[in-house]
Amino acid sequence: MIEYDPEQQGQEIPEGDLGVKVIGVGGAGANVLDRMALEGSDEAELLTMNTDMRALNTSVSSGKIQLGATLLKGMGAGGDPELGKQAALEAVDEIRAAIRGAKMIFVCVGLGGGTGSGAAPEVCRIAKEEGVFLSVFATLPFSFEGERRMEQALAALERIGQYANTVMTFENDRMGELIVPKEGVAQAFAAADKIISQSIRATVNVVHRPGIIRIGMDDLLTALKDKNSRCLFGFGQAKGEARAHEAVEQALNCPLLDKGKLLNDASSVLVQVAGGESMTLFEVQAVMDEINKHVGDGTQILFGTGSDPRLGNSLSVTVISSLAGEAPAAAQAEPATATVTVDPLQQVTAQPTSTLAAAVTAAAKPAPTLVAEPEPAPVFEEVAEPAPAPEPEPVKEEKAPEPEPEPEPVAEEPEPEPEPEPVAEEPEPEPEPEPVAEEPEPEEEEVVVPEPVAAKKIVIEEEPATNPIAAAVSAGTPALVSDEEEVTPLSSADKVEATTEDEETITLSRIVSEGKTGKILTREVPEVPEPGPVEPTKAPAVKMADSPTSEKAQQQQEMLQLDPVAAKGRFAKTDPTIVDGEDLDVPTFLRKKG
Amino acid sequence: MAASNIYVGLEIGTSKVCIVVGEVRGDGAIKILGVGQHPSAGVRKGEVVDPDTVQTCLHDALIRAEERSDVEINTVFLAVSGSHVESVNNRGTIRVADEKMEISAEDLEEVKKIARDVSIPEPNGYIHSIIQHYYVDGQDKVLNPLNMLGQKLEADYHIIHGVKSRIQNAIRCVREVPLEVEDIVFSPVAAAQVVLNREAKNEGAILIDMGGGTTDYIVFVDGAVEASGSLGVGGDHITNDIALVLKIPLARAEKLKVAHGSASLLDNPKSDELIPVDGDSGRKVEQSYLNQIMNARVSELYEMLAEELREKGLLDKIGKGIFLTGGSSLMKGLDQVVGDAFGLPVQRTNPKSMSGPTALFENPQYATPVGLIRYAQLLDEQRPKAGPIRNLFRKLVKK
Repeated sequence: MIEYDPEQQGQEIPEGDLGVKVIGVGGAGANVLDRMALEGSDEAELLTMNTDMRALNTSVSSGKIQLGATLLKGMGAGGDPELGKQAALEAVDEIRAAIRGAKMIFVCVGLGGGTGSGAAPEVCRIAKEEGVFLSVFATLPFSFEGERRMEQALAALERIGQYANTVMTFENDRMGELIVPKEGVAQAFAAADKIISQSIRATVNVVHRPGIIRIGMDDLLTALKDKNSRCLFGFGQAKGEARAHEAVEQALNCPLLDKGKLLNDASSVLVQVAGGESMTLFEVQAVMDEINKHVGDGTQILFGTGSDPRLGNSLSVTVISSLAGEAPAAAQAEPATATVTVDPLQQVTAQPTSTLAAAVTAAAKPAPTLVAEPEPAPVFEEVAEPAPAPEPEPVKEEKAPEPEPEPEPVAEEPEPEPEPEPVAEEPEPEPEPEPVAEEPEPEEEEVVVPEPVAAKKIVIEEEPATNPIAAAVSAGTPALVSDEEEVTPLSSADKVEATTEDEETITLSRIVSEGKTGKILTREVPEVPEPGPVEPTKAPAVKMADSPTSEKAQQQQEMLQLDPVAAKGRFAKTDPTIVDGEDLDVPTFLRKKG
Repeated sequence: MAASNIYVGLEIGTSKVCIVVGEVRGDGAIKILGVGQHPSAGVRKGEVVDPDTVQTCLHDALIRAEERSDVEINTVFLAVSGSHVESVNNRGTIRVADEKMEISAEDLEEVKKIARDVSIPEPNGYIHSIIQHYYVDGQDKVLNPLNMLGQKLEADYHIIHGVKSRIQNAIRCVREVPLEVEDIVFSPVAAAQVVLNREAKNEGAILIDMGGGTTDYIVFVDGAVEASGSLGVGGDHITNDIALVLKIPLARAEKLKVAHGSASLLDNPKSDELIPVDGDSGRKVEQSYLNQIMNARVSELYEMLAEELREKGLLDKIGKGIFLTGGSSLMKGLDQVVGDAFGLPVQRTNPKSMSGPTALFENPQYATPVGLIRYAQLLDEQRPKAGPIRNLFRKLVKK
C-alpha cells in the first residue's frame, strides 16, 4: 500500500506502472466500463462491481466483483441503497484487495439506484482508507425517474464527496439535451457512456503523459473545483497538416462543451496539448490561440503540453473544466457535500499551480503587497502579452498565450477592501468564492492563494486607472466618446437618478472601463476628456450585461429639439425617427400641408 | 430524454406585452396551451424606455400565461424590434484544404465566420446570421454543400444586427421578472415562420408586420431572406396624428381610428358623413378628414418602404406578393394603400397551422409570439447539427 501525503498528492505520481484502476459500480457504471473496454483501454485496469449476477456476467471488463453474494443471491439491489450498502460491506475484503496497490482510482457510477447509490460510497470509503487518489464520475438520474431516486442520488453523492478527491457529475437530463434529443434511447445512453469513458481516459492520459509542461493532479483539481459543477470535457485528436486546428475543433465540438461556448463561463480550464515528436511549437500556439477565443477573460488556463510517442503523427487536445452549476434544483444539494473534500485540496493545489509556472509567477509574487501594482493587470489582458516575458526557459515559450491565470489570484489579494467587486460579480452566474473556513482537512496550512474566481472583474476595474498599456491599446475609443457627446445636461441628470443603487458604488475607474457602453457620459459628463482614452478593449464586453440603464440615457441624449414638442404628441420624448430629413413623428398630414 | 417541447414566446410590443405558451407536437403542429397578455406601457417604438413599468406589465402577462397554460415558465424566446435593427448581406469565401477537397462541417463554420465578419456600427451586435445560399466552385445556390467536393466555398449570409444596449435593455427587463431569455429573435423573422409558407418564400414574398410602434419587414426571394428591417413608425403614430390634428386626447383618437378610420381615401364614398368623437359631447368629425389624416401617414410609410426595396431591386423578384400582419394590419383600407405603393398583390394573414384555443389566434396580432414558438422548434431541430442554444450573452457581445 502506498500512502500519499495529500500535500504531495498534487505534485507527482510516479511513472512506470500507472496503477490506474477504473471501477464501475452498479449497472450504469458497468456500462461505462464496457464502453471503455470496447474502445480499448490499455492504460487502466477495469473492474466491475455489481450485485446483479446477470449484469456482471455480461460485462467485458477484466476484473469483476460480485457484491452481496449471500445477501442478495445474485439479484440486484432493487433500488434500495441500504441493500446496496450492505452488499458492498459483505464484499469489503475483496474490494479492499482490488483497490490496494492502485495509485489512482476512477469510480464511475450511476446514482439513484440501489447498487450505485448504496455501494459506491462504500467503495469510495475503502479507497480513501487505502489512500489512493480517487476520482469519481457520477451520473445523476433523469428528473423523470422521480424525486425519490434523485434524493437517493444526492445523498450518495454527498457521501462520495466526503471521500473523493474529485467528483465530476454528469446530469442525465443535461446530457440528454446535449446529445441527441431525437435519437433512440439506446444511442443516447451509449453516447452518454461514451462521453464519460472518454473523460476518464483523457483524464488518465492528461495526468500520466510525460510533459514538457506538466499537468498534475493539482491542475486537474483546480480545473474541476467549481462547486455544484457540471463537468465540461472535450477531446480531439487529429493527424495531417491541419491537425492542430482539427484537433481543437474536435475538442470544442464535444457535446459537453457546446462548441466551446460554455468555456466562456468557466473559471479555470485545463488544456493539454499532446503529440508525438513532430509536434511543433507553432502548433501548440495555434491550439492555444483557438482555445483562448472561447475562454472568458478572467479564466485561468492550466496549460500543459507533453510528447507521447504513442501518438505518432497525431496531435491531441484535451480540455477539461467545470462550470459552476446553474443551480437546477436537483443539483443544489450536491455541492455542499461534493466540495467538502475537493475544496481543501484545491486550496492546496492552487498553489502548486503557480509553482508549476514558477518562472512566470516569480515576477508576480511580490504583488500581494502592492495594491495598484500595474503589472498583474497587463498580464491579464491578452493584448498585453509582453508583460510576462521574463521566463528563463525557452521551452516555456508556449505559455506565452496564457500566463494570465497565475497573476490573477495575486491581483485579487489587494482587492478585498474596495467594495465594487460584489457589484461587478452580479451579472455573472458564477458563485462567489465560498468560505473555506469550515474545512476539516488539516492539509491546508500552506494555503496562500484564494481561488481566482473573483479575480475576473476586479482586475478589470483596477487596471484602467493605472495601466499604461491598456491606455495605449484603446486609441480607438475617443471617437466613440465624441459620438455620444450630444448629451444634454438635462438627460445626464436624469440618468444619475436612474442608476441603480449598487452601481453608485462603482469607482471612477470602473466607469471609465465601461466607456463603450455609454456610461461615461451619462454619469461623468465632465469627466470624459480627462481620464483619456483609457479603456481595456475587452472590458465593455463583460460589462455589457449590467449597463442597460445607460441605454435610456442614450435615447434622451439624442433628443434633438428640432421641432416644437407640441407637434409630436406622445413621441415628444422619444428619439426621433428621421428619414430623409423628415421627422416622421410629426403627423404626415401636418407636414404635407405645411 | 428529449428536451421539453413546450416553448414560450414573449413579445414586448409597443401596445401589448404578449406571452404565448405553445407545445410542439410530434407532427410539428403547434398547440397553443395558453396566452397571457397585458396592455403595454413603457415601450415606445418597439423599445423599452421605462423598464420598471414594462416589468409590471410583463409580470401580469406572465401570471396570466402561467395560469392559463398551467405551465411554469422559466425561459422564453424574446422578440426584439425597433428602428435600430438593420440588416446587411455579405458573402464569405474560403478555400477548401487541398488534400481533402471535401467540404466539412468545419468549413461551413469557417465560411460563416468569414461571412459574418462585416463591419457593423460600433455599438451594434449580431441578432441573426441567416444563410441565404452556398456556392461551390461558383456553382449556383447549393442547398447543402456538406460533403460535396470542391475547392472554393462561398456563402451568402443575411446578417441582422441591432444596438446592443437597447436589446440588453429588453433582456434585462425580462431577466428581472425573473425569466431567462433563451434566445432573441427579430420580430419579423419569427412572424415569417408562421405567416409565410415554403411556397411563398420560394416565389418571393414580403412580410410586413405593422405593430403599434414599429413596422418591421422581411423579404424572401428564392426561399432565402433577402432583406429585413424595421421602421420606427406604427399604429401609434396614426393615433398620435389624429390626436394632434384634431386636438383630441389620445384615447379618443385611438377609438376613432379603430372604429371608424380607414387608411384608404377610396373607402367611404359618402365622404361628408360626420362621425361623433366618442365621449366628446357633440363634437363631430368628417369621415373624409379622418381618412385623409390616416392616409397621409400610411401612404408615406409604405411609399418609403417600397422605395427602399425598389432601390435594392427586390420588388421585381416578388412573385407571391405582400403579406400584412401585426395589430395595425387590421386597419381598414390598409391593403389598398400598400398595394398601390408596392404595385403588388396584398393579403392580410394570421398565424396558421396550430391548434388549441385557436379562435383567439386567428388574429394577426399574434403572428410574432406564435412565430417565436415555431422558431424555437426549428432551432431545436437543428440543434444536433448547429449546437444547442446559442449563448445569448456571447452572441450579443461577440462582434
